[in-house]
Amino acid sequence: MWFEAMLIGILCYLGALSSPWLLGLTGGWYILSRPLVSGMLVGAILGDVQTGIIIGVAVQAVYIAMVTPGGSMPADLNFVAFPAIALGILSGKGPEVAVALAATIGIMGTVLFNAMMVLNSYWNHRADAAVEKGDERGIYLNSAIWPQVTNFLLRFIPTFTAVFFGARYINAFMDSLPGGVLTTMNVVGGILPAVGIAILLKQIIKSYSMLIYFLVGFICIVFLKLNMVALVMVGALLALIHYNYKPEPQAATVQATPQADDEDEF
Amino acid sequence: MDMPTPKLNKQDLRRCWRAWMMYNLSSMSFERLESYGFCLGMMPALKKLYQDKQQRIEAIRRHTSFYNTEPQLGAIVNGMVVGLEEKRANGEAIDGEVINTLKVGLMGPVAGIGDSMLPGMLIPILLSIGMALAAGGSVIGPLFYIMAFSLIVIPGSYWLFMKGYHMGSGSVEMLVSSKSSRLREALSLLGVFVMGGVAASYVKLGTGLEFITKDGVNIHLQQMLDGIFPNLMPLLVVLVTWYLMAKRGLSPVKAMLGLLLLAAVGVACGLFS
Repeated sequence: MWFEAMLIGILCYLGALSSPWLLGLTGGWYILSRPLVSGMLVGAILGDVQTGIIIGVAVQAVYIAMVTPGGSMPADLNFVAFPAIALGILSGKGPEVAVALAATIGIMGTVLFNAMMVLNSYWNHRADAAVEKGDERGIYLNSAIWPQVTNFLLRFIPTFTAVFFGARYINAFMDSLPGGVLTTMNVVGGILPAVGIAILLKQIIKSYSMLIYFLVGFICIVFLKLNMVALVMVGALLALIHYNYKPEPQAATVQATPQADDEDEF
Repeated sequence: MDMPTPKLNKQDLRRCWRAWMMYNLSSMSFERLESYGFCLGMMPALKKLYQDKQQRIEAIRRHTSFYNTEPQLGAIVNGMVVGLEEKRANGEAIDGEVINTLKVGLMGPVAGIGDSMLPGMLIPILLSIGMALAAGGSVIGPLFYIMAFSLIVIPGSYWLFMKGYHMGSGSVEMLVSSKSSRLREALSLLGVFVMGGVAASYVKLGTGLEFITKDGVNIHLQQMLDGIFPNLMPLLVVLVTWYLMAKRGLSPVKAMLGLLLLAAVGVACGLFS
């Protein structure tokens, strides 16, 4: 198991928010750390790609719209994507329970994310000192190398530990839980995606009229039974109609009318 | 002065873009965020432009101030700054203050547009297609997402970097023009529409309540609901969560705990199954 745990630990580091190896956050955070992708990779490492992807899809739904403006992190997606999905697969209790497990680990993971952000302040100060001294090597070491060593340790060690030791006990632990807890985890796993969806709606919906498109999309799936690819096409066509027929903002003419009125009064 | 005028070639520009893409968040902290990421992204250009060590350190210091933007779309700012540094090194009257003001002035708007376009729209749309293609555990789903995202974002940010370098400060017009804001509005419409489908497909909640009337008729509540409006309960959960988060300022973590509480109470009363 140590080999699998090591691979998952390395992937967890490569997918971390600040890891530079795969063109920064483009290949790491936005590709490797999407549960859809990590489910496939972790599944492959643990020898069951299919289960991995099914669990990855279920977990992905919760975090579909997570944005991290200015480094605030409601849940550490990187720990969700690697150790949590690995434990979800190993527990063998199905996707809903894996979702509940992942959400718990994700929220706990923010502690380590914040620890990294604080530790990096130290490296930033050392880099500042290097700039003052004109030490270019020092700048590179303190802004690229040492912060990455910190990052690696904070990602690899917890992941390796969780997968290596968790693998032996997770099954027995899950079986020892009372039935009510497992049912609750199942129900929670089913409704947690509501949070991810709500985060996106919160960002995008500026007026209640936008909610219409959400409801139309919902109805297209529930009543018209469209599949997702067809849904995206219908949505793209609606967007095209909106783009073509929305009038240009007519600031000039709107302002012209009251001005004309003012002139009449004089 | 008879110093040779330093010029950046295509390779230098590519190095700058790559350094920015790799290191933008590498030493992020609450206090500085992308400041040293920006600095490392400038390094390849500064090394070539300022052969004199004192001048180079001066330029490096200029690029270590606080900085934060959406990195992939933000490549356009790096392109512009590289262009300005090149002009400055060639003796044009651009002082360091101008360069810094430009950076600080652009990082906010570019972050706003970038966060709403990439993690706010492009990623959810591509993910929801990928999740649909992954039905039953098929590898096509994840592979689709990996390919589609890389093919859009990597060449896209490279193009933006080059656009910023060649067009200078005019290039941001492209991002904030009325045409592009209309385009963003259309895309956010698509995002909301697709989210409706995601909500219908991935939020699951059912009730197991059954009543048996005294005539012996078995009323299964979930079957009745399904006959009227399937997925009504998931829809209500999403709308209430959205309302509480958007209008009542509930944080994501509290929303998750709230749903946990709802589930626990529901299971305890036998309402959910």
